[in-house]
Amino acid sequence: MSRKLGVLALALGILVGAMELKTLVTNHGKAAVIMANGVSPVPPPRL
Amino acid sequence: MSDFFGLAIWVVGMVAGVCFVTSNLIRGSFLKYFFLNLYVLLSMFADLSRQYTLRVFGLNSDQYYYAYYYTDCLLTIALFVAVISLASRVFDELNLVKYVRIVAILLLLGTAGFSYAVVAQSSERLSTSFANELSQNLYFVGLVLTYLLWGAVLKLKETRTRLVQMILSLGLYFSAYAGSYALLNLAPKYEVVQYLAPILGCFLPISWALTIMRYTEDSRLTPARLVAVPR
Repeated sequence: MSRKLGVLALALGILVGAMELKTLVTNHGKAAVIMANGVSPVPPPRL
Repeated sequence: MSDFFGLAIWVVGMVAGVCFVTSNLIRGSFLKYFFLNLYVLLSMFADLSRQYTLRVFGLNSDQYYYAYYYTDCLLTIALFVAVISLASRVFDELNLVKYVRIVAILLLLGTAGFSYAVVAQSSERLSTSFANELSQNLYFVGLVLTYLLWGAVLKLKETRTRLVQMILSLGLYFSAYAGSYALLNLAPKYEVVQYLAPILGCFLPISWALTIMRYTEDSRLTPARLVAVPR
């Protein structure tokens, strides 16, 4: 039981940490995208 | 972006992808690193379809925009699964694989739910916004997971060279994207900054291919040597 709760707490902790980090980074930037995969050029952002 | 440089970067990325998958097949590691191979293969197919859309419709077209971001969402999910597969290998000896999978499913569902909650407020086309939001959120979850994984590698004194180098490559890749985002904000007018994201796209298949080519599954190293030694 405690292991299952630990797993749940870990998942929630990672999710909250990641969203905090995202808010921190994107609130201070004006560029449209941070993620990009692959070697193709990034399309210009839509207004 | 200059057509020539864009195409050159695209060719380098495709060749690196082919090298990674081929070296895995030759060395018999394809199934051992199946999800990494799957990510690289999907990335190559996505880049082929993006290049076709780019040539036919152009960089500013809606078609290219949608093709880019829908395939990007797919690739981010594949990269997330690749990070989880590396975590499973690290925690394999501790018999914690079951828990790693549960955390992965919870994270994927949680991120999807959070992304949906964010875009449900939007009046734009829901599926496009959702794909975009999910990609961004999963990127950050992947970033946090990779750093946690690196912490676990150091704590557990993981010595498998291939595993250590692949996780380090992922950490560098995620960090470099964050750096390129900062540069994009600092100097958005310079054309050279626009090349950064595609150049970084080549990094992962190149570093993984070098790892597979240079080291065998039996190669070992001491990750403690990678940490700064106190004087």
